Amino acid sequence: MRPQINTEIAITYLSSRKKQTLIAALGVMFGVSMFIFMQSLMKGTNDYFEQQSFNNTPHIRLYNESKIADTHLMRNYYKDSSVKILDNPKQVLENDGLTNPFGLMEMIKKMGDVTDITPQVTANVFYISGSVQVNGIVNGVNMDEESKMFDVQSNMVTGDLHDVDKINNGILVGKGIADKLSLHVGDNVTVRAATGNSMIMRVVGIFSTTVLQTDISKSYANIAQVQNLLGKDRSYVTDIKINVKDYNNAPNIAKDIEKITGYKAEDWVMANENLKAAFKIRAVILNSVIGVILLVAGFGIYNILNMTIYEKIKEIAILKATGFGSGSVTSIFLQQAIYIGIMGAVVGLAVGFGLTYMVSRIYIGAGTLKYLPMSFYPPHYIEAVCFAVATTIAAGFFPARKASKVDPVSIIRG
Amino acid sequence: MEAIALKAENINKEFHDPVTFSVLKDISFEVKKSEFVSIVGKSGCGKSTLLYVLSTMDTDYKGGLEINGTKVTGYTLNNLARIRNSSIGFVFQFHYLLPDFTCLKNVMIPALKLGKRSYSEIEASAYEKLKMLGVEEQALKKAAKLSGGQQQRVAIARALINEPAIIMCDEPTGNLDSKNTQNVFDIFRKLTKEFGQTIIAVTHDEDFAKKSDRIIEMADGAITSHG
Repeated sequence: MRPQINTEIAITYLSSRKKQTLIAALGVMFGVSMFIFMQSLMKGTNDYFEQQSFNNTPHIRLYNESKIADTHLMRNYYKDSSVKILDNPKQVLENDGLTNPFGLMEMIKKMGDVTDITPQVTANVFYISGSVQVNGIVNGVNMDEESKMFDVQSNMVTGDLHDVDKINNGILVGKGIADKLSLHVGDNVTVRAATGNSMIMRVVGIFSTTVLQTDISKSYANIAQVQNLLGKDRSYVTDIKINVKDYNNAPNIAKDIEKITGYKAEDWVMANENLKAAFKIRAVILNSVIGVILLVAGFGIYNILNMTIYEKIKEIAILKATGFGSGSVTSIFLQQAIYIGIMGAVVGLAVGFGLTYMVSRIYIGAGTLKYLPMSFYPPHYIEAVCFAVATTIAAGFFPARKASKVDPVSIIRG
Repeated sequence: MEAIALKAENINKEFHDPVTFSVLKDISFEVKKSEFVSIVGKSGCGKSTLLYVLSTMDTDYKGGLEINGTKVTGYTLNNLARIRNSSIGFVFQFHYLLPDFTCLKNVMIPALKLGKRSYSEIEASAYEKLKMLGVEEQALKKAAKLSGGQQQRVAIARALINEPAIIMCDEPTGNLDSKNTQNVFDIFRKLTKEFGQTIIAVTHDEDFAKKSDRIIEMADGAITSHG
């Protein structure tokens, strides 16, 4: 099918001023490609940091929060209207484990949306080798489940993480601890709990995260060993770690879990407030940069169309004289803007993709980060095109309306 | 009784800038179908202004205008554009082609806008009109590349493409030599005789005017002779 006459005129005008059209389209292209590049970079880094945080933090952590003593016992006892004041309240000493943890886990599993769930016993300990003591935290875990939830494997320096389950008294220590105590795989280390019990454990592996604080304090051992170390029974569990299908929905699920179990359920957003704040700040910076780029591109189109209209004013008058209504004239000039927008957007998509791809191959090599994290997220490309077309329509609208208002008589008569 | 192609009733028009000045005073006349009318008068007598009022492009007037028996005074601008597209052809003093398009496309544009015929029919018809005016060899050249006389003839071809009932000309032969003037005149004559089209031409060219069916003379914004 042949294009409509308005379209044909619009295209002829564009192609008869190739240079100007090209410059206007370049403006849009620049906007679109920068939009894609920046969005990809931001989403890439955000995803990376989110993923990093999920390496240490589960989507939801269920634990027993120690409470400050309050007056509810007094209220229950003195059922009168007197004001009860508790002077100098202290933390209530409770059994800091979760009651009936396996029952809780069954209950939570039934809620649906839960992909992984694993118990953990955390204990503050000293790692002792010779005369040197290092304090830290030992995580008693079921390593099979733990490594499914968190990418422990990728942090491993030496040893096999599954030996924690296989070898009696096996322990996986952070690289910082290993360095301080001069530990190697196969060495023994004394682990002493705050309760006074101590246990000799064998180093089966060494891991290194990007976080120094973790590396100099954290270790993994089998959950049963840590229960033994603390002198507790097999039902002693301090934390239940839960991963859900959609981690963005974790805060809502956490609230439900809190309601059902009565324990504190902390979601990853709460645990990583600073991360979220950084995301927001980056989003603001990014959006203002993109906004400026698109604004400049829009002004480019506006200028070029305005110039065209001054140049073509006699032709507009002729078109109107030969029967083109104001709607047709608007359409002719608006279409020019839209084609400039589409041309710029299409090239911009390719350039944006190319730029993103190129940058994603730049070697960084900091910590576990090898390459710059870039995301290739299709909605960014769709958004970029929508923004580009919307900007060009907005930029083309006013010149087009001006063209449609040209009075043919005054132009033709001169 | 012969059909009326165009009827003007008590048309008055004033310019307000810089001072109010009456350019058209109580203009009333009729043009019959297939009539060839020339409007003559001195520069500034308002004949071009009258033509633009008759053409429906200028809507700032008092009085009534009928085209093909339809009263068009008070129509919206877009409706008037549609009427111009289908029923009125224009030939301007300066050719006013679209320079980025080929001559053929220039001729075709009003018909493509009207959209009553297929593209190939319009193309054939445009060729035919160009041939009639002796510029078919220029058909595929850009309009900007033609000489003034050739452009004028292409412009006439464009005015004819939709086979309008009325063709309005503002100094149609202003830029043509005597041979081409005769040529254009013969074409106009043929259009009125063979195709029943009505021609209203504003002209300075007395020879041209004398050969037309009727001369309307104007002076100081009023008609002095209906011919």
